[in-house]
Amino acid sequence: MKSPIIKCHKLDYSYAGKVALSNISFEVTTAEPIGLVGPNGAGKSTLLSILCGFLQNASGIVTLYGHRPGAAALSGRVAALPQDAQLDPTFTIGEQLSFYARLQGLSAQQAQLEASRVLEAVALQDSLKEKPGALSHGMAKRAAIAQALIGKPELILLDEPTAGLDPANTRKIRSIIAELSPATTFIISSHDLTELGRLCQQILLLDKGMMNTMQLNASAADQPTRFLTLQMEPCPITEVLAKFKQISGIVGISNPQKNELIIKYNSAIEAKMDVKIISCINDNNWQYRQLSQGKTLEEKLFFDEA
Amino acid sequence: MSPGFLKHLSLICQFELKRLFSTRKGLLYLITFALIWYFILLYPIRFAADFLGQQQHTLEGKGFFEFIGFGSLLNWKIPELGVYWHFSLILFPLLAVMISADQTCSDRERGTLRFLCLRVSRDGLFFGRFSGIMLTQALLIFASLLSTLALILYRDASLLPIALDSASAIWLSLFIALLPFTAMMAALSATVQSARQATVWAILIWSFLAGIISLLSSYLPALNNLKLLIPGYQMSALSQLAEWQTLQLAYIPLLQTFVLLSIGRWIMRRQNL
Repeated sequence: MKSPIIKCHKLDYSYAGKVALSNISFEVTTAEPIGLVGPNGAGKSTLLSILCGFLQNASGIVTLYGHRPGAAALSGRVAALPQDAQLDPTFTIGEQLSFYARLQGLSAQQAQLEASRVLEAVALQDSLKEKPGALSHGMAKRAAIAQALIGKPELILLDEPTAGLDPANTRKIRSIIAELSPATTFIISSHDLTELGRLCQQILLLDKGMMNTMQLNASAADQPTRFLTLQMEPCPITEVLAKFKQISGIVGISNPQKNELIIKYNSAIEAKMDVKIISCINDNNWQYRQLSQGKTLEEKLFFDEA
Repeated sequence: MSPGFLKHLSLICQFELKRLFSTRKGLLYLITFALIWYFILLYPIRFAADFLGQQQHTLEGKGFFEFIGFGSLLNWKIPELGVYWHFSLILFPLLAVMISADQTCSDRERGTLRFLCLRVSRDGLFFGRFSGIMLTQALLIFASLLSTLALILYRDASLLPIALDSASAIWLSLFIALLPFTAMMAALSATVQSARQATVWAILIWSFLAGIISLLSSYLPALNNLKLLIPGYQMSALSQLAEWQTLQLAYIPLLQTFVLLSIGRWIMRRQNL
């Protein structure tokens, strides 16, 4: 029988008596990108560090492809972007990436080609002969992502991959992840929920050391109660709410943020509620910025009461 | 396919050599090393060897060296190598501590060790770095011996066969003598946060451990044997030996190395990165 990509069973971990992870159990079997979210101090980096084999003495069962974290059999199969890890300032980026590639079993010539390939993938091909000290924060982050791409690993664990990156490079990283999936499975820890919403089908939510799993693609087609998220341009919000409440089928409207509305409706009464909403906006000469099906990921994860 | 343990060891060794020969920090170290040895060769070794050469065949000369505690210098077939041996027993352990203080600590603090441990086992990394530093030191001993040989041959080219034999004994004995110092720094480096801390701990271990063992052994003499575990314990006895006899005490540093590497490996395997 094929082993799951990741298996955690009753995982506990404490730092100097303080519980960081408590009774965490989950399995990753799909090759689609998986998001790992949670507030600061929830244990995301701890969990990724345990999966990488950086932290010892965790209790419970943790396996990656059937092997314990850090096992020699995982070398080249599992890669990671650890949080705040930096390359050695003594050597050039190219020398270090080639060395890592050689440790993964590539010949000297293949290793040099691989170093160039992964640097090109993160748009750092000109930095091959630069030392890490010469790179900006964003460039250093991309160089660290490049090391995770060496040898086309099967599983890549990314801890805050886009933190500190400009929008162009964030998009570049997103396209790399989309391009390599599902041949490579990505576990992405991030606070950028829009980013995760775009990339991931499954979200692991960690809070106070406890974990919940959420499928983002769970079909709502057979459920009568559905949601729309509407972002309006500046508008008379009281009037907008009053008008929308008159539309038949709308069960409730909330206004979680300025000019943002979450509309709860019954699809059995009005299946094309989005068309109705846009008609209402047009009839009243208001402007809207975005209308999307369902709730935002942030709303689903942290503020969902329905 | 991932390379085996020995392949990783060899790759890490090569990278450590690269650190010495192709980085600015390494080259600075090499230049300093070369300068120190240049002055040692030019003054102490050359002059002391001339002096020894003149005095070693006279009864007064022998008596003088015995009196000042350097009688063992006369046991060397070539005086230059005798003086080299005494200097190197002091200088190389100090250099060993300096060069090997940062085997893993700064990489761990910086997070670079995380990149490495995704590709190589902790054992591979620990022993790879240790082997790399030992290889570096073996080359440095070789280079300094080569320059001493050049000095000897400049004086008398017919001494080549004897000089080669004695130099081989020195190279091997020094290499073995440096093993426990490097192993101790490997173990300390796996624990502390910086090379400076590792060096301070090394000094504390030498001074306090020796003091504590001396104190305890005054109550229980059997405890004096614990001094066997302090790197460099055999150095004063070693300085009294000459030529291949210097290997008579090799069991002490080998035993120390085994113990210290076992401790270091234990620490490294349990260390959070």
